[in-house]
Amino acid sequence: MIDWIVWSVSWVLMLIGCVFVVSGAVGLIRMPDLYTRLHAASLTDTGGAIVISLVLIIQSVFVFGSAMAAIKVLLILFFTLFTSPTASHALAKTALLCGQVPTDGHGNPILESPEQATLLARSRPADYRSGQDGERARQEAAERRRHDDNAGDQS
Amino acid sequence: METLVVVVLLTFLAITAIGIIVLRDLLGAVILLGLYSFIAAGAFVVLDAVDVAFTEAAVGSGISTILFLGALSFTKHEQKKRGHDSFVALLFVVVTGALLIYGTLDMPHFGRIDSPAQTHPDLAVRFIEQSGSEVGPPNIVTSVLASYRGYDTLGETLVVFAAGIAVLSLLGLKRRRPEDDMPEDTPDHLPGDPLSGNANENQTHY
Amino acid sequence: MFATAVVALLITMALTLARALMGPTLFDRLLAVNSFGTKTVLLIAVYGFMTGRPDFLDIALVYALINFVGTIAVLKFFEYDDLGSGAYQEDDF
Repeated sequence: MIDWIVWSVSWVLMLIGCVFVVSGAVGLIRMPDLYTRLHAASLTDTGGAIVISLVLIIQSVFVFGSAMAAIKVLLILFFTLFTSPTASHALAKTALLCGQVPTDGHGNPILESPEQATLLARSRPADYRSGQDGERARQEAAERRRHDDNAGDQS
Repeated sequence: METLVVVVLLTFLAITAIGIIVLRDLLGAVILLGLYSFIAAGAFVVLDAVDVAFTEAAVGSGISTILFLGALSFTKHEQKKRGHDSFVALLFVVVTGALLIYGTLDMPHFGRIDSPAQTHPDLAVRFIEQSGSEVGPPNIVTSVLASYRGYDTLGETLVVFAAGIAVLSLLGLKRRRPEDDMPEDTPDHLPGDPLSGNANENQTHY
Repeated sequence: MFATAVVALLITMALTLARALMGPTLFDRLLAVNSFGTKTVLLIAVYGFMTGRPDFLDIALVYALINFVGTIAVLKFFEYDDLGSGAYQEDDF
């Protein structure tokens, strides 16, 4: 009975994990720009890692009977859960800092120029030197977007 | 299954190597080199060479990426365009590669039980039968590396250590003062944009 | 079950490798390489279980850490055009 439960739970979780992982890779190929690719890849990376690690923990406890393997898988999961979102965050922030302008749903850039993206990346809530510039750039961009939207509605 | 995984990983390896050769952007090539050594390490694990895989991951993907980046910070990010293709060099490479492949034909096939290393009367048998009582660790490779050829390993480590110190002293570990270059002052001092062609203009020179 | 996961991971790695080779920007390559590293960790772990020897997990553990170190080093290089000799450490982020 318990064998059957372990077997079926493992299969279901493993299939879910495979769907997560493969869909992340498909998103990595098909998404239009860097930030959407980042979203697809990082979300499914973490999700797939969690689910597949769960399967491995279940298998190592119930099938292999090795607590050490379960602890190692837990450690891998722990490190992945810390490092993967951190790396994604650093990647997105550095891309913005280097002037990668994000685009909206129609492929139009949200910001005017790469310099604005850099200023946006430099603006932080408790900033020390150039935060005011970044905050101003963000407000100006938001206002311009609102203005453009209004103009588009009127026409 | 194991054969499938190995073949697929080695195919990835070949594709990545071609990609590195074709790419003219040196930063991209460094990133792809990290990918290359990840694939190589995965293939080593599947082929049961666990210690080599450890080394490959730590050195190839960790240290050498950082050393390449340190070297790149002194030079340009773009490979120099060559005006001509050197057919003599290609000829030499092809001949050398053919000779190396010809050399592998004499080697015993992977995993063969009657290869010289397995059938030598003193080495393999003695390591397998007596390394547990003579040295101790359950892993035979560990006892060979750390005890039977301990001096060799010590010399190897010394060489690697000296090379590391030499590289670090070449790259320079001096601390820059913060007032030398503050990137936050004006938009003119934006950090170098590795995506556009003028990345080299605002690069810091020493 | 493990064989299914290994095949799915290999397909994923192929797609990720395609993105790493296509680019177009360096950040895309870096994202793909980081993602590929995570997939390698999973592949080694699942492969160890598939062959009935969960001893390979140590290597997967090491890979998970090295992958992170490499990505952060490259990102730091992008940001400062230098590996950062400690000049900005005190007042940045």
